[in-house]
Amino acid sequence: MGSSVEPCRIDIEELDLDRGGRPVLRDVTVTFNPGIVTAIVGPSGAGKTSLLRCVNRLERPDRGRVLVDGTDARQLPPTELRRRVGMIFQTPVLFEGGVRANLSYGMNHIDDVALEQALEAASLSSSFLTRESSALSVGQAQRVCIARALVRSPQALLLDEPTSALDKDASARIEALISSLGGRGLTIVLVTHNLEQAKRVAEEAVLLAGGRVVATGSPAEIEDAWPEEAG
Amino acid sequence: MRDIAVVLALVAIAIAISLRYRLALEKDLVVASVRAILQLTAVAIVVTFVFARPAFSAAFIGVMLAVAAYTSGRRLRGVPHAGLIAGGAIAAGAAATLTVLFGGRVLGLEPQFVIPIAGMAIGNSMATVSIAGVRVREEISDKILEVEARLALGVPARDALEPHVRRAVSVSLIPIIDTTKTVGLVTLPGAFTGMLIGGASPADAARVQLIVLFMLMGSIAIAGMTTALLVTRAFVADGERIVVPAAS
Repeated sequence: MGSSVEPCRIDIEELDLDRGGRPVLRDVTVTFNPGIVTAIVGPSGAGKTSLLRCVNRLERPDRGRVLVDGTDARQLPPTELRRRVGMIFQTPVLFEGGVRANLSYGMNHIDDVALEQALEAASLSSSFLTRESSALSVGQAQRVCIARALVRSPQALLLDEPTSALDKDASARIEALISSLGGRGLTIVLVTHNLEQAKRVAEEAVLLAGGRVVATGSPAEIEDAWPEEAG
Repeated sequence: MRDIAVVLALVAIAIAISLRYRLALEKDLVVASVRAILQLTAVAIVVTFVFARPAFSAAFIGVMLAVAAYTSGRRLRGVPHAGLIAGGAIAAGAAATLTVLFGGRVLGLEPQFVIPIAGMAIGNSMATVSIAGVRVREEISDKILEVEARLALGVPARDALEPHVRRAVSVSLIPIIDTTKTVGLVTLPGAFTGMLIGGASPADAARVQLIVLFMLMGSIAIAGMTTALLVTRAFVADGERIVVPAAS
């Protein structure tokens, strides 16, 4: 994991996304400040995951734009954008082969020291380098996914409900990891439906409901705007 | 006609078994048999006409290609330009076959050779195009999480799809490759058997069978790989995104 990489600022401006004629995101304008953890919270179906996918260009918004350090993301080659802004999915997805093969996937020249640093940054010991992916627990697999993103020295990391498939202990370890990554100066955007989790790990929060931004501020500040029906 | 009537006794036995064990296959067996008789009679009439007028050969091949493209295209429903993809892939396999066989003077450029060879190449390519196209679509749909995990690492879309496309194409080519590997060991293939029944020497029958096998393997492999390339392209949207159409 390159320590010299500066975290990036991500601005989303007036974003609209429709899917099958149905509005998913409407007029979303929000900023993810560099080097801190921002949580996107909201009930199921609020558009949280779709917003992350638009940032990473896995989906194309119908209107609006995403700026990375002031540059329109559409001006960047998608492959470069995705290396600069990594994404972790709800369910950990490991490819065939061992942990080493997963970490170095698609990279031509990468030495073991860099891989071990990424594992360490993801709170895994270097002994994991020789482990088979199929022998990992779900929590370990999720941390390997995070390490795999970190090997590419991203400026930001988008995490889509990274603890939803995990038990309580594994969730706590991932939360601690997210906090530590924020502390290392990465821009972190965490999608969660759990406001308490946002309070534990995030410095800023955006509340989405029905595809619109309902409130922004600290996680504690947005609590008042949390829709009652979302529980 | 007597010989066909005699062989139809086998179909009658199959129908009797179906009735006895209530398998409800008798209607399908009758329909399939009647269709085979009608279609082959019609083809015999048309081919007789074309053999007498070689200029019609191209039109006849064009009709075969159009029907094959339509049939395979329907299997790929949901894939943008499915008919064109199917037609292009089948045409690629058939064109390569015809060019090598007739350009290399393996066979004479006469309707009695061109029509059956084109028919075999197009027919077999059609089956492989359908299987390869459907397999590619299913493989990518099933593994979309894995594909998107690769994309999210900054891997180009084509590279992210590659392992899945490779798997789908190999599966669709297994039958012809296995048939070629085991030829003569597991079954005596059609051309070989037909020529022996027709009185040819085993050496001549083997030579013709090898021509047919290599022709089929070549045309099918080209058609299958072309299908995979074209279907994959249809899934890659601007911005290195993957858009998998729903099968309808």
